[in-house]
Amino acid sequence: MPPAEILIEGLTQSCIYMTMAFGMVLVFSILGILNWTHGQLFMLGAFIVFYSTTAAGIPFPIGILLAGLVMAGIGILIKKFIIDRIKGELYIGVATLALIFALEGAASLLFTSDDRGLAIILPGVLNLGVVAISYQKMAVIIFTLIVMTAMYFVLNHTKVGLAIRAVAQQPVAASLYGISTERLSLIVMGIGCALAAMAGAIMAPLYPINPFIGRTPMIMALLAIVIGGLGSLTGAIVGGLILGFLHSVIAYYISYLSEVVLFGLIILILLVRPQGLFGASAK
Amino acid sequence: MLELKNIWVKYGKKAAVRKLSLSVNKGDFVTILGANGAGKTTMLNAISGIVKVKKNEGEIYFKGEKINGWKPGKIASLGIIQIPEGRKLFPLLTVKENLLIGAYLRKDRKGIQQSMDEALTLFPVLKDKLNAKSRELSGGQQQMLAIARGLMAKPEMLLLDEPSLGLSPLIRQQLAETIKEIHREGVTLVLVEQNARLGLMLASYGYVLENGEMSLQGKTSDLLKNDDVKKAYLGV
Repeated sequence: MPPAEILIEGLTQSCIYMTMAFGMVLVFSILGILNWTHGQLFMLGAFIVFYSTTAAGIPFPIGILLAGLVMAGIGILIKKFIIDRIKGELYIGVATLALIFALEGAASLLFTSDDRGLAIILPGVLNLGVVAISYQKMAVIIFTLIVMTAMYFVLNHTKVGLAIRAVAQQPVAASLYGISTERLSLIVMGIGCALAAMAGAIMAPLYPINPFIGRTPMIMALLAIVIGGLGSLTGAIVGGLILGFLHSVIAYYISYLSEVVLFGLIILILLVRPQGLFGASAK
Repeated sequence: MLELKNIWVKYGKKAAVRKLSLSVNKGDFVTILGANGAGKTTMLNAISGIVKVKKNEGEIYFKGEKINGWKPGKIASLGIIQIPEGRKLFPLLTVKENLLIGAYLRKDRKGIQQSMDEALTLFPVLKDKLNAKSRELSGGQQQMLAIARGLMAKPEMLLLDEPSLGLSPLIRQQLAETIKEIHREGVTLVLVEQNARLGLMLASYGYVLENGEMSLQGKTSDLLKNDDVKKAYLGV
């Protein structure tokens, strides 16, 4: 049994992978494409919160919302001016892949590639006897709970949520009843990108910030989606949870080979369940 | 009310529908007969805007407005609702949610509730299943839900695409009664059927589609006596 601190660390990672994966699957379910540059929106979210708290003196929670809002706007622009102008899933995929380097390059130019650190906003530790958990990490966990509850509410109890689920399941019939896939695409792109940015923002005080911090969360989110079952929102959440723990626990025991073991395990899961844990089996 | 003038629909180089004209008046009950691949579904999708008919490839008018090129939602809001082939329900949504999608364009809460009550009176079997996912329903129940979902839009004209497909004779009979009931309540109907006998028994006017072209039209009472129709579609 690894020490409790490792499990807390795993849970914190899980929260981020979940939020990222959830946004990606939401976009995928309506647009039918994976937005490969999701990790860079995470990175930009971290920079927005860094500068808004250090340079502009904006309170941290407002900074997180600001990051979400700005990147929702960027996401909508990416949809309108890049994704909409290219035909074919493969080419759209390549375009969003190219955006990884464009955004990282732009961030390096603007902010340099040096590591930056945001001071801990919520100092202190909650001691639960068996385990101590820092307030900053608790903030990540509570933030994720709030986001997931809010998303659950939006998807299941609002008209927009009903429309999103309808289009994801049966786009032609949805359009027959007047649901505009076009408008919903912009909405989910905005939500998905905002989630990525806010995940980056809430994590900013815990890790160094540089233009390349989006890569690992993006790959982990992608793996979470694959083991959860592509297209399943529940799968994205469970996949993210599993990966966060696996990543931290494996790294604790075998630091050098941890990635190799992690990917080996994922391949094993996919060999047993090729459709992922929550994916519909291909009959 | 609905007027198609010389429309063409091409998939690549192959024309699925060629130079097709059709006219439906308010209160009519029209059936479209034709073999598999004759272009029936393509025609309905052209009317609903799922398949675009280009400006130079014919004209579609509904209540005097030229609707080709319009988005499906805008066409639906004029009052033409299609019940698509194979039902196309939202499998993971509940029966109630499926019905609410039917009323997506409407804003009148009271009216929506009233339509829901009416739909459930017409299809009482759905009443006990409101919270069941639509994929859990039987084939007949799914078809009823598909029609009920269409009625939730308060349509003036309903385009029914192969509603009897895959249903048992008993359920098919029930369905026929319900369709008649919907027509009696004042909804203009266009029924596409592979089961030609059913279509001709229900409707008052019929068109026969062959290879994307209209080959024959007339009162259904006449079509039932027509030798070509008898041979090709009624198996007599």
